[in-house]
Amino acid sequence: MFSHRSDHIRVWLYTTGGIIAVLLLVQFLTGILLAFYYVPSVDHAHTTVSYIEKVVSSGSWLRALHHYGSQWLAVFAFLHVLQLFWSKAYVDRRIGWIAAVLLLVLVMAAAGTGYSLPWDARAFFSTRVAEGLMGGLPFVGRLARLWLLGGTSISTITLSRFFALHILVTPFLILGVLVWRFSRKVCWSNVSRNAIAGGLVFVALAIWCLKYPAPLGPAVEAVTADYLPRPGAQFLWLYQSLKYIPGGLGSIVGVVFPGLGLGILLALPWLGANIRKQIGALVLAGFALWVVTATIAAHLSDRRDSNTRQQLARQLVQESAWRSEPFAPRSLQTSPPQSQSSSAGGAPVLYMKFCSDCHGAHGEGGQRGTLKFPPLLDVGAKPRRAPEDIVGLLKDPPAYGLQPPMRSFADKLTDEQMREIAAWVVKLKR
Amino acid sequence: MNTSEPPMNKSRRSFLQLLPFGVLVGVVGSISGAAFRFLRPRLSAASDQWLDVASVSEVTGSQPLAKKVLAEQVSGWAISTEEHNVFVLPAKNQVLSPVCPHEGCEVTWEQSRNRFSCPCHESFFAADGSRLSGPAQRGLDALPTRVQDGKLQVQYRVSDNV
Repeated sequence: MFSHRSDHIRVWLYTTGGIIAVLLLVQFLTGILLAFYYVPSVDHAHTTVSYIEKVVSSGSWLRALHHYGSQWLAVFAFLHVLQLFWSKAYVDRRIGWIAAVLLLVLVMAAAGTGYSLPWDARAFFSTRVAEGLMGGLPFVGRLARLWLLGGTSISTITLSRFFALHILVTPFLILGVLVWRFSRKVCWSNVSRNAIAGGLVFVALAIWCLKYPAPLGPAVEAVTADYLPRPGAQFLWLYQSLKYIPGGLGSIVGVVFPGLGLGILLALPWLGANIRKQIGALVLAGFALWVVTATIAAHLSDRRDSNTRQQLARQLVQESAWRSEPFAPRSLQTSPPQSQSSSAGGAPVLYMKFCSDCHGAHGEGGQRGTLKFPPLLDVGAKPRRAPEDIVGLLKDPPAYGLQPPMRSFADKLTDEQMREIAAWVVKLKR
Repeated sequence: MNTSEPPMNKSRRSFLQLLPFGVLVGVVGSISGAAFRFLRPRLSAASDQWLDVASVSEVTGSQPLAKKVLAEQVSGWAISTEEHNVFVLPAKNQVLSPVCPHEGCEVTWEQSRNRFSCPCHESFFAADGSRLSGPAQRGLDALPTRVQDGKLQVQYRVSDNV
């Protein structure tokens, strides 16, 4: 009787494969759809994601499916590895075991590269952290950082790289692993229960996504100094762990340790028969314990500190207010047509590069989220806004009564470049 | 296979065999339904912006005048300023769209032959925009115009019937 009941429970535990199949299908379908609107450039990524969230029918639900689906997929990919470990797949089903570990790696890689794509404040800070983790790697850090960023600093090229890795490289590798796995001998048992479990998880995910839209923080250029970046649930363990680790050791803990652990899991079928079970259990239990403990610690740490708690609550309120605002289309940063440029005395190139995102291509002002950026039309007629004042203001905004998000351009522009922008700005008329 | 299990009847077995397909259809179907709404093109109403073409005093002579207008265009998440060519007919105080009604290429004015010609498929139009020859089935479209503060203004739009 006991044996029959435990068998009955066990067959349901062996349904992670079906759940992963359904979640992968959801990721592929929703990813293809999101790519119809998303633009991978730092100028437009946040705007296009906002457009998907606010304007496009079913956009918020489809993006939430993609966002939360990726988190659930990582959890079930890990549970699948646990389930295969439990049934000693590394002994008699080596290909299935290796495929499952590779799938876990690729799912985490897809989640990591996808995380940067909305180019909101969280994405930017997470890209910074990824840059730091790569840069801190022993021996290869400098090269790894350059290759990750596509240059010496985070730029629109970095975002293009993450996009290509996310929508082309990792999906093809995942498909490759699946093809390799299923081109070998497959035992199609328990299929109905796998289908039921996959279907139920999809229904749960679909309902969850109707209730909770995927988060989208403020655009990078609209971030204020008090903004607290917090990663998504799947990376909270890493975020919390890095708080305890000084300097370059973060790369060891954030990249080398997980890499070593996954390497050991992949090599498990070839390790000594008498120790591999203990080693595998140590790696899996250690990782699970680490992730769960650090995730709980991250939550508790944020709750304990009242300033942090209040700021995070404020950010939630701001995001909610932003959601209820209508979408504002973004001016394309193309050069104005020749005829207009000559008649209106076209904007300096550096104004278009550094100022027009917020103040508009023609100084008309703009709005992003709850933040309003003032128009510059007739600014020359205002007190303390002569060309030399504007040069001073560009160097030190607080000295002229301006608060963030207006920032200093002292390290970006030379005095001559500032004077060129100032000379153009003071001529702007309504 | 557990031999102690009672044998499944035929209908239950076929139901279980169909279950994976049912789940597949359910997942793909619900996302496809949303995908249809997600990808549906967003139709924008014809622009009612009045765009400056030229001062009325400039609009003289017997030949069509090539002019450019700047129109603000909202395409989904983006606003862009597009430059469009138009032809002013001074005699009729009319503005013609340069879009060939055959396949949508832009016509050019051939002064030496006193006609508009389409570079794509050799449709030709008279100086007043009426069709002369070629695959186009009608003449060039006239755009809505008005005179405001001494300026000739136009509402730029492309006919759906290209």
